[in-house]
Amino acid sequence: MSISEPTVFIVDDDAAVRDSLMLMIEQEGIAVKTFNNGDEFLAAYQPECLGCAVIDIRMPGMDGLQLQEELCQRNILLPIIFLTGHGDIPLSVKAVKAGAVDFLTKPVTRDALLSSVRSAILESKRLIAQLENGQDAKSRLADLTEREREVMALAVAGSPNKEIARRLGISHRTVEIHKSKIMHKTGAINLLDLARIANEGGL
Amino acid sequence: MALTPSLEHLSFQALFNALADAMLLVDNAGYVLLANSAAHALLGYTSGAICGLPVKTFIPELDLEQRNRQYDFGPSFINKNNKLIALTQDGRKLRVCVNLISPQAPGQSTVVITLYDDRRRQAEESLRISEERLHLAKRAAGLGVFDRDLTNNTLYWDERSRELWGLTPDEEITYEKFESYIHPDDRAGRYAALCRALDPASNGEYQTEFRITRKNDGAECWIATVGQITFEDNEPVRLLGLMRDITELKAAEQQSQERRKETEALVKRQIAVQTASAIAHEINQPLTAISAYSEVALHSLKNNNMSSKNLCRALEGCVAQAQRAGDTLHELLNFLRQSELVVEPTNINRLVKASIDIAKKDGYGGFHPLLKLEQDMPPVLCNPLQVQKVILNLVRNAIEAIHGSGVTAANITIKVRKMAKKNMALVTVQDSGPGFDNETAKRIFEPFFTTKSKGIGMGLAISRSLIEANGGKLWHDPDTKAGATIHFTLPFSP
Repeated sequence: MSISEPTVFIVDDDAAVRDSLMLMIEQEGIAVKTFNNGDEFLAAYQPECLGCAVIDIRMPGMDGLQLQEELCQRNILLPIIFLTGHGDIPLSVKAVKAGAVDFLTKPVTRDALLSSVRSAILESKRLIAQLENGQDAKSRLADLTEREREVMALAVAGSPNKEIARRLGISHRTVEIHKSKIMHKTGAINLLDLARIANEGGL
Repeated sequence: MALTPSLEHLSFQALFNALADAMLLVDNAGYVLLANSAAHALLGYTSGAICGLPVKTFIPELDLEQRNRQYDFGPSFINKNNKLIALTQDGRKLRVCVNLISPQAPGQSTVVITLYDDRRRQAEESLRISEERLHLAKRAAGLGVFDRDLTNNTLYWDERSRELWGLTPDEEITYEKFESYIHPDDRAGRYAALCRALDPASNGEYQTEFRITRKNDGAECWIATVGQITFEDNEPVRLLGLMRDITELKAAEQQSQERRKETEALVKRQIAVQTASAIAHEINQPLTAISAYSEVALHSLKNNNMSSKNLCRALEGCVAQAQRAGDTLHELLNFLRQSELVVEPTNINRLVKASIDIAKKDGYGGFHPLLKLEQDMPPVLCNPLQVQKVILNLVRNAIEAIHGSGVTAANITIKVRKMAKKNMALVTVQDSGPGFDNETAKRIFEPFFTTKSKGIGMGLAISRSLIEANGGKLWHDPDTKAGATIHFTLPFSP
C-alpha cells in the first residue's frame, strides 16, 4: 500500500455489494480493496495509508461500530463512511460521535457515495499532514535539555525574559542563552513558530 | 276514669299466674307459699304441688340468709342474677338465674324468687348476636335485600336497596318504577334472566347485572343481583334476593381490558415491525448491489469509458441479484408457512356461537348479534382456532366500524348456510355500519391498509390467507346497500 495513492477500503459481508461498489468507485479512477469482515481488514491494513473505509454497520462477528473502536484503539486515523440497511438514527449518532465522517443508507446512490468518498479522502490527507507535522515537531524538540524545555514552556506561554529568570531562579542573561539555543535546535523562525512546533509536538 | 277501680278486681293470684317468668313466693323460714304456673312448668311439678315444700328442694344452693345480712341497707332487698342450679322433680339439673326481691313492709318477711331459664336466655342472646352479625355482614358487603311477592305483585326493599337506587326510605317502590330506572339497553337482558329463573323447569336461580340511573343524583351505576325463585305447585310465587353496587368493579374491569388491548396492539405492531425489518434486511442487500451495478452500467454508457467486460459484469450482477432477492422472499414465506395445518371436522354453528361469546366477554364494545344459522349443517373440515380467529376479526372490524361512525345500534348479523352445489358452508358477517366506498373496497385486502387510527391493516389480509389455507375463500360483497358484508366458505368434511 503506497502512501501517495488514495485507496478506498470496502468492508461488507455481502459479496455482491462489495463487487458493485468496487466497480462504481474504480470507475472514478480511485483504487479499491475489499474485505469480507473486520478481521480481514485489520490484518491487511498498514498504518498511515491515504484513503478511507466504507464499512457496513451490521455484519456477523465484529460489526461496524466495533471495527471503528478497534481502529481508534490502534490509533489508525482512517476516515470512516458507514453503510446501513435502515436509517438507524441512534446508531448513526453513536458512529458520528465516535468520528465517522458519513452515514449512508442502502441502497446508496452513486452521487452520495462518491461525494462522501471524496471528502473522506480530503480529510485523510489533512489527518496525515497533521500527523507528519507532529512527527517533525517531535524530532525537532527531541534534542532540547530539561532546562531548555522549561524555558520554552514559559516563553510560549507569553512570559517575558525577566519573569522567566525570576521563576526559574536564573539570570536574565542565561535565559537569553537558553532561548537562542532553543530557536537554533528547533529551527523556529520566531516565537509564534516555536509555539506551533511545541503544540504539534505535544508539549 | 274507671281504670283504678277495675284494678282492684285483679287478684294477686291471677296476676302472679299470668307472668311468663317462673316465680316463687317464699316465707321467712324458706317454705314456698305460692308458685305460679310458669314455675310449676319449669320445675316439672303438677299444678299446686310446689306449695308448702322448702325452697332448698329445688335450689339447694340458695342462701336466704343474705337477706338478713343486707337488711340494714334499705327497705327493699334485691339480689340479682345469681347463677345457680335448680333441680326438677325428675332430678334434671337446670342452669337458672335467680333474682330475689323482698317487698319490704314492716312485719313482713316474704321473698319473691324469680327463675330465668339460663339456656333460653343464652339461645335468645345468641340469636340476637347472629342477627347483629348478619346485619353487619350485609352492611359491610353493601348488600341490599329485596323480596317480591309474585302472586300479589308487591315488592319489599330494605333500606340499603333503597340507598343503592337513590330512593328515600319511605318512598313507595313498585315493579314498574323499578324497571323504569334500569338502563334501556339492559332491560331486555335482565328480563331474559328473570324469565329463565321463572321457568319451573329451572332451579329458580336468578342472576344478572344491569345499569341503573340513580334517582337522587342521576348517576349511572352497575347493580348485580342474585336471587332465588320459590315455586308452589309449579308456579313461581316469590323472588327473594340480594343486590349490590358493582360500579367500581366494572370500571376496574374496563380499565384492565383497555390496558390488555393496548398491550396486544403493541405486540402486534412489534411483530409487524420485526417481520417487515426481516424482509427489508433480506431485500436491501441485493437492492444495494442492483442499484450500484445499474449506475455503473449507466455511467459507463453515458461516458463510453468502460470495457465491455466490466459492463457485462455489472449487468450480470444486476440479473443475479434480482434473482437472489426473489429467491430470498420465497424462502422467507416458506419458512413462515412452515407450521403444518391441522384440520378436523367442526360444527360451524357451534364455532360461530363460541366466537360470539368470546367477542362479548372480550369487551369489543356493546353489540347485538343476530344469528341466522341453518340447522343440520354437516361438519366442515377446518382448523377451528384459525376460523375462530377469522370470525373474531370480522366481528371486531364490524363493531369498530359501527362505533367509529357514531351509529348507535350495533347490529351484527351472522348467517351460516349450505352451498349444496359446491359442497361448502357459507358464512356471512354483515354489520349496520357505514360500509366501504368503492375505493376503500378495492384496497381492504392489501396488507397494511387500514381505515382505523390504531390498526396495522393486517386483519383482513390475514383472515383471507387463513381461510384460503383452510380450503375456502373470503371476499367482500359489493352489492350490499347498507353496512359491510364479508362472506367466507369452508369445505364440508368428506
